[in-house]
Amino acid sequence: MATQVELPEDSHPGEEEAVAEENASILLSPEALIKHPLQNKWALWFFKNDRTKEWTANLKLVTSFDTVEDFWALYNHVQKASKLPSGCDYSLFKDGIQPMWEDAQNKDGGRWLINLNKQQRHSDLDNFWLETLLCLIGESFEEFSDDVNGAVVNVRNKGDKLSLWTRDATRPDAIMKIGKKLKDSLKIPIKIAIGFQAHTDTMTKTGSTARDRFRV
Amino acid sequence: MSMSGSPQQLLKGREIPSRRIVLNDISQLPHDYSTTPGGSIFSTTPGGSKIFYERSFLLQCRNSPLTKSPPPNMAKIPGVTAPGTVDMPLENGNVTDENQKQKPTGEKAEHEDGPQFEMDI
Repeated sequence: MATQVELPEDSHPGEEEAVAEENASILLSPEALIKHPLQNKWALWFFKNDRTKEWTANLKLVTSFDTVEDFWALYNHVQKASKLPSGCDYSLFKDGIQPMWEDAQNKDGGRWLINLNKQQRHSDLDNFWLETLLCLIGESFEEFSDDVNGAVVNVRNKGDKLSLWTRDATRPDAIMKIGKKLKDSLKIPIKIAIGFQAHTDTMTKTGSTARDRFRV
Repeated sequence: MSMSGSPQQLLKGREIPSRRIVLNDISQLPHDYSTTPGGSIFSTTPGGSKIFYERSFLLQCRNSPLTKSPPPNMAKIPGVTAPGTVDMPLENGNVTDENQKQKPTGEKAEHEDGPQFEMDI
């Protein structure tokens, strides 16, 4: 589906308007002015780590959207993840789900977690985040798309993190399919494993990292 | 919209494929409204109708004219969405160009950016 389609030459015989439009190279098919609806409405959140404030006071809803074009209008006008200061997050969640463990839709779920090394902020972070966003809004997880709640990118000096959140940590089929699709979409080499952790494990962890419930 | 010269008229029509099924009882009707008895031929996916988009199609839409302005209801966050402070990448060309065009001449731009220099009175 091209965004610019030339009108057939005989569609407006003798109309000067058509010629003028062509000269101004603003020939647009009606299709280019129709927004493509998404299956879900999504909300982009921004989090800035300010320890003088409550966690929730640092969380801001940037905007929500439910068409392909509105997604790009947003994406094209916000800072790249790699340019955010350390301690900031972006989150994209289905409308109505807050980007936190405590949300009713998240509390029984978990996340596929991808840890990036410091070099990958420049080589991979923005690309990984965009590919993840496209998977979410395009519903790439097919019959398991309903299991997906959203995704988070954490910008941290010690190493950035990207995670994809699902709603139920006890659904192995859905979790594995989603993990494989994510790994595939990000073109993560097969030999590098990524892990899935339940939020309940992350909240009650004693060490620095929660155990992986699944790996792919 | 005028129908003259529309592609539909130029092309030879073709009937929408259909088939006839017999319902013997009301219970044979589907439970949700988006399906037809016996299953429709198009527009359904397993588990109901869902809108999927391929990566390549989504990327094609990136430069649609409808994506050139920021969403009107976007929160103003300095360094993230606020104008002037966001380091916009060049690949989104128009955004940078517009900023450059507006700044030298537009009075509004001056107000937004604050005075160019300070004066001691």
